[in-house]
Amino acid sequence: MSEIFALLIFPSGLFLLGLGMAYEWVDRKLLARFQNRIGPRWFQPLADNIKLLAKEEVVPDGVNRLLFIGLPVVALAGALTAALYVPAFGLPPAYSFPGDLIVTIYLLSLMTLCIGLAGANTISRFSLIGATRTLTQLFSYEAPFMLTMLGPAIVARTWQIGAINEFAGAGNWLLLTQPIGFIVALIGLMGKLEMPPFDAPEAETEIVAGALTEYSGRGLALFHLGKGVELVVGVTLIGAFYLGGIANPLEFLIKTGALMLFIVGVQALMARMRIEQTVGLWWRYGSLLVLAQLLLLLIWETIV
Amino acid sequence: MTQPVEKKGDRFIIPIGPQHPALKEPGHFEFTVDGEMVTDATVRLGYVHRGIEKGVESRNYVQNLYMLERICGICSHTHAMVYAMGVEKLAGVEAPPRAQAIRLIVAELERIHSHMLWLGVAAHEAGFDTLFMYSWRDRETVMDLLEALSGNRVNYSANLLGGVKFDITPDQVKDILEGMAFLEERNRHYLEVVMNDMLLLGRIRGVGTMSKADAERLGAIGPTGRASGVARDVRLDAPYGAYRTFKPVLMLAETGDLEGRFNVRLREIMDSIRLIREAVTALPEGELTTRMPRRIKEGETVSRVEAPRGEAFYFIRSNGSEMPDRIKVRTPTIFNMATVLTLARGHQLADMPMILVGIDPCFSCNDRMVSLKRQGEEAAGGDAVAGPVMTWNEFRKAVMR
Repeated sequence: MSEIFALLIFPSGLFLLGLGMAYEWVDRKLLARFQNRIGPRWFQPLADNIKLLAKEEVVPDGVNRLLFIGLPVVALAGALTAALYVPAFGLPPAYSFPGDLIVTIYLLSLMTLCIGLAGANTISRFSLIGATRTLTQLFSYEAPFMLTMLGPAIVARTWQIGAINEFAGAGNWLLLTQPIGFIVALIGLMGKLEMPPFDAPEAETEIVAGALTEYSGRGLALFHLGKGVELVVGVTLIGAFYLGGIANPLEFLIKTGALMLFIVGVQALMARMRIEQTVGLWWRYGSLLVLAQLLLLLIWETIV
Repeated sequence: MTQPVEKKGDRFIIPIGPQHPALKEPGHFEFTVDGEMVTDATVRLGYVHRGIEKGVESRNYVQNLYMLERICGICSHTHAMVYAMGVEKLAGVEAPPRAQAIRLIVAELERIHSHMLWLGVAAHEAGFDTLFMYSWRDRETVMDLLEALSGNRVNYSANLLGGVKFDITPDQVKDILEGMAFLEERNRHYLEVVMNDMLLLGRIRGVGTMSKADAERLGAIGPTGRASGVARDVRLDAPYGAYRTFKPVLMLAETGDLEGRFNVRLREIMDSIRLIREAVTALPEGELTTRMPRRIKEGETVSRVEAPRGEAFYFIRSNGSEMPDRIKVRTPTIFNMATVLTLARGHQLADMPMILVGIDPCFSCNDRMVSLKRQGEEAAGGDAVAGPVMTWNEFRKAVMR
């Protein structure tokens, strides 16, 4: 019974959806304030999602119906499952086993994969271009992001998120020893979530809404909810790994809040990058820097 | 509605418009892409054709002032001014110096407002929404000034045939000078941002480069042409009204890319600020209007004004009655449109909105003429079909289904 409660209500399930929407609001509100706008009211993401869920879902011609309806569900499920293994809201992970870090990283990629497939599934031209860009972007940031998660795992000598969190909580601020990893992880998260300046896959002035152009109603709401959850999981992971661990709700709020401030600041300050600029940035600078840091770490670990 | 992939041979066509988030007005562009590369581009205009040229033929000269001012929402003053200048020339009347200076002040305020609007739109197309929001916030200053002067934010209705409607009081001069000081500071900052922001430069430097020869060949005018080094500005080439006294400085860039267009427009804002300062402090004394005859004597004339986007050209023919016989309007966008199609080839799809917006298009301005072809008949050289293709009634039936 308590397991079902944990899965559906708290700390996963409904609670996490709410948390995702709250972080989406923080993102939108802060960005608006940085841009000298007023920004949405606190319940706006909730209102948006309720409205979308209540609306008709139009299934366009020429798509595989099963995929079209199933992909948003899989994407949201992936993000929610990933949340089970991270110390969301400062509570110990609901489930944990040695090696859950790898599973979480893969579950986080599921969302992007689903968006790419959803775009490729429809015959809309904007969706197809969007899907190509989404998947191109996936291939560029995924490797560096994974490497940044590897760094803390190597120094903590475990593949278990909970254990790495505890290791970081014991006074090991990896931000200081692995600054490159921290920056690349944050920027990688922004790439994952297709936030500006990495929003070429959904650049509205070019390809309308990218891969999700044909989505309306329920499907769109589920993708949005999934992105909110993934944002929470992402900042939680980075906060736990690099900012000295997350042991209680207060620490969670402060650390993820600080990360959000950074993320929104980057969004406000930059113009959108073209897709080939994004790929160039990741492979020329991101990956190489993280690889160099990883090599140093490995050498250090073998010597000490 | 779904838009199935159009198969024309092996071509993959991305449509932009008539309804698209990149466009603030309807126009239809088809970009043939190979991956992300654009290999071909076509344009279809005419979605906002309103029949104004026909409409003015059944209204008198005073009514037409209001009609023509509504051709464009951004450069409304330009259209009223160029029309008033043409009619005054036909009637052999000249507006008093004070009226001409006020026309200049409103025209330059309008240029500032148009260029700042463009800056915001261009930044938005580049995904730089912060610059968009900031430049539009600061643009409110000039909008407020125009409202204080004329009572309107969009169609200022400053012109009368033979003068202007309102005076500029010393209090308003003070407000204008204050506003100019603020705008000068802000625009200097934006110029710095545009010229130094690495990510924005990555999107505009070397993108949409048009050589001077190309610009001349395609007939690029206004800031688009000046960014490619085409030294053409009606205010200097054929000075009119108060521009004979207050001389603008020609702003040129040699690069011809989007960076050059940002550069030229932002420096033009600075120059407009200087012009306004000079004009409001040296405002000639005198009347605001002169008497205009109701009937304009027979004849035809041409009048030209440098609109924010380039040369606005009016041909007016009078048959001696209260109503004009024919008014032909030519706006700058239609010339620059050809440059978009030429520049598009070889660029990436991501650059298309930027290149399109780089010319500062105004669709409702240029959607004026329709050329009709009989079905199954290819007109030689576009519109060289002999005789009327349709009668007026047939045309009405065809377009007003």
